Amino acid sequence: MQNSRYSETFDFERKRQLDEELRVKNARTGVNLFQGSWIFTFVALIIANLQIRSSSPAWPPVGVEKLQPLLPTIATVGLVVSVIFARRAFRALKHDDVRGFLVQWRAALALGAAFVGVMAFEWLTLTPAPEARIRLANGVEMMSVLTQYNSMFRVMTAFHALHALIIGIYMWNVYRGIAQTTLDSRTLWSVEAGAKLWYFVVIAWMLFYVVLYWL
Amino acid sequence: MASISVPMPGAQAAPRPRLSEYLRWSVDHKIIGTQYMVTALFFFLIGGGLAMLIRWELLTPALDFSPTGSAYNSLFTMHATVMIFLWIIPFWAGIGNYIVPLQLGAKDMAFPWLNAFAFWLIIPAGALMLAGYFVGPPEAGWTSYPPLSVLFSGDGQTLWIISLHMLGISSILGSINFIVTIKNMRPESMGWFQMPLFVWSQLATSLIQILGVPFLAGGLTLLLLDRVAGTAFFDPSRGGDVLVWQNIFWFYSHPAVYVMVLPGMGVLSEVISVHSRKPIFGYKAIAFSSMGIALVGFTVWAHHMFTSLSPELRLPFMVTSFIIAIPTGIKIFSWIATMWGGKIRFNSAMLFSVGFLSQFVIGGITGMMLGAIPIDIHLHDTYFVVSHFHFVLFGGSVFAIYSSIYHWFPKVTGRMLNERLGKIHFYSTYFAFFFTFFPQHLVGMQGMPRRVAEYAPEFQILNIIISISAFVLGISTFVILFNMGWSLNHGEIAGPNPWRALTLEWQTSSPPPSYNFKGEVVPFEDPYGYGTEASRVYLDEMEKRLTPANLLGKGGDSGAGASPEPMTGD
Repeated sequence: MQNSRYSETFDFERKRQLDEELRVKNARTGVNLFQGSWIFTFVALIIANLQIRSSSPAWPPVGVEKLQPLLPTIATVGLVVSVIFARRAFRALKHDDVRGFLVQWRAALALGAAFVGVMAFEWLTLTPAPEARIRLANGVEMMSVLTQYNSMFRVMTAFHALHALIIGIYMWNVYRGIAQTTLDSRTLWSVEAGAKLWYFVVIAWMLFYVVLYWL
Repeated sequence: MASISVPMPGAQAAPRPRLSEYLRWSVDHKIIGTQYMVTALFFFLIGGGLAMLIRWELLTPALDFSPTGSAYNSLFTMHATVMIFLWIIPFWAGIGNYIVPLQLGAKDMAFPWLNAFAFWLIIPAGALMLAGYFVGPPEAGWTSYPPLSVLFSGDGQTLWIISLHMLGISSILGSINFIVTIKNMRPESMGWFQMPLFVWSQLATSLIQILGVPFLAGGLTLLLLDRVAGTAFFDPSRGGDVLVWQNIFWFYSHPAVYVMVLPGMGVLSEVISVHSRKPIFGYKAIAFSSMGIALVGFTVWAHHMFTSLSPELRLPFMVTSFIIAIPTGIKIFSWIATMWGGKIRFNSAMLFSVGFLSQFVIGGITGMMLGAIPIDIHLHDTYFVVSHFHFVLFGGSVFAIYSSIYHWFPKVTGRMLNERLGKIHFYSTYFAFFFTFFPQHLVGMQGMPRRVAEYAPEFQILNIIISISAFVLGISTFVILFNMGWSLNHGEIAGPNPWRALTLEWQTSSPPPSYNFKGEVVPFEDPYGYGTEASRVYLDEMEKRLTPANLLGKGGDSGAGASPEPMTGD
């Protein structure tokens, strides 16, 4: 409750502007923190992978087909290019080039979708590991270690794909929003957020890619 | 002994939100904070009931009402899980949610909607956790080691895992909220080193959670897949490794114990300074030591695995476990130095904080003992460990929770808690707690294992003493609950600042209006600057501003942000 003298002199417009700036600043800090935090879930899966493979005499275990890196490498390159497009799209929008934004953001989304498609193909055409039972010298029967390699691949790629899909859908909604309405600071922030989250998807994939295909 | 300030003449309790507002979705941090705290108290009673059943079972060396050992397993599994994830961690989230924006002079947290979402995750997660009892409760301990948790636990174990996933997400979102609020929403005049130490402790806690909880999420995902999808990440017969679980689990769960105690240490900094009427000793030391504990806490996890690690890997963890005693000790000495020469008022809030000092130090010392490898090899999985962590969790965290309730109940409800009941509560809790848990050191050293319902007959006498003390401890809980319920409507009116404290939450009405502060927020330059002339002037000025007439808006230009009068004259 303020007396009339106070509300005459109070600058409501400036306050609204400051509030809006604070909201974007908070959101930016929040997204940065979320990414810094959530990457550790991916790190945990990598650690599990590394620890399990260290207890196996060979990796992949004898009899299991090693993952072929060719197609995933092409997909990964496509993913990196998509991030470049996303970044350029964001910069275009910052300079009010809406058409430039739409074209490049669409390109980023298309490459991202292609990546998910290729990895889905890899997932579905994975050669199943032979289910061998081995008999130890003391007569104990054990399932061999053969399933671990494939299990780890499936879990890691599926976990990553889930994130790529969710963030991709968010980016698609951002695209639709800008194609249909006018800009304001909140729209610019939603594009920045989408681009940053897409960087996150790509960085997480780079970590998984190295561990799955090259280590 | 100085008495509390008498509320200002004509003081009325500021209007409180209606009960219905607490039962539905709200984005006001004060309502969310209260929702967290009440929900947590409810789960405290459930966890406590389970503890009573455990102690009932342990009255005799043989199996009593647990027909097999499995039923007993589920008792201590659920007791620990409920206490950790549904009582202590949510309670600190709740009181932090309520107090931190007020102490920062902010209108609300940075993300009010996210705040509400994080709270409402707790309800289904808690229901899911308890629903395990209807489908075969989890039996693998709160540590949920495979192969027990994968192969031999009931379907409730799957519900347990899903429930923990939800609680983990709630923790991460809440922590992001705290960090962004603390970083971005302080007033202009409040730099990092003018923040109250309770805020520092919430910052450190939130940093631990955003770094550690994702690890738990990853591990839980793998455990869930092992249970429902036929994978074998933790099955050695199929190439998996149980140590993967232990490492991932403890990498989160050790820092989690600091999540449980750091906010309590923040409470101590507030309560001890206010009720000794003295500046906090070593503000920067306490602030940096909170961050130090958060950081070093990530380096000690394998001290829970001394008996499963290969011997050469153990030594670094013993060293880091010893190192973490240093920042903790800095805080203890700082609090004692704060009290030294102060004008101490031993009200219930202060009693519980001082009680924390003694009980937590005992727990800390036994923690050091367990950190020494040769001692741990002998004492691992005995009642000595149980005693250690109850000293730090109950004698530490829960005592600090009680202290925070006595300290901030006037702010939240506008009414004082009954001091006499508070003292009854303190003394009964303190001594019942001590006689419940101290003898457990003795039975532990003599070899009584934990997590087993049957024990050697020579331990029975001590176990009877422990159990009876535990029943008294359980009953004593109802003293504070009754006190809170009764004082809600019959307690003495508190007024804005019954403790004459300097931090910002006390410079508004009790309870605060929905927008927290009327007019411009004016923090005092030093949140712990008691005993100076400037602080007296500030407090008197605030008292004038917050008289009932002014609060109801009948004053002149009281809301226009007048700063306190300059320090001249009387």
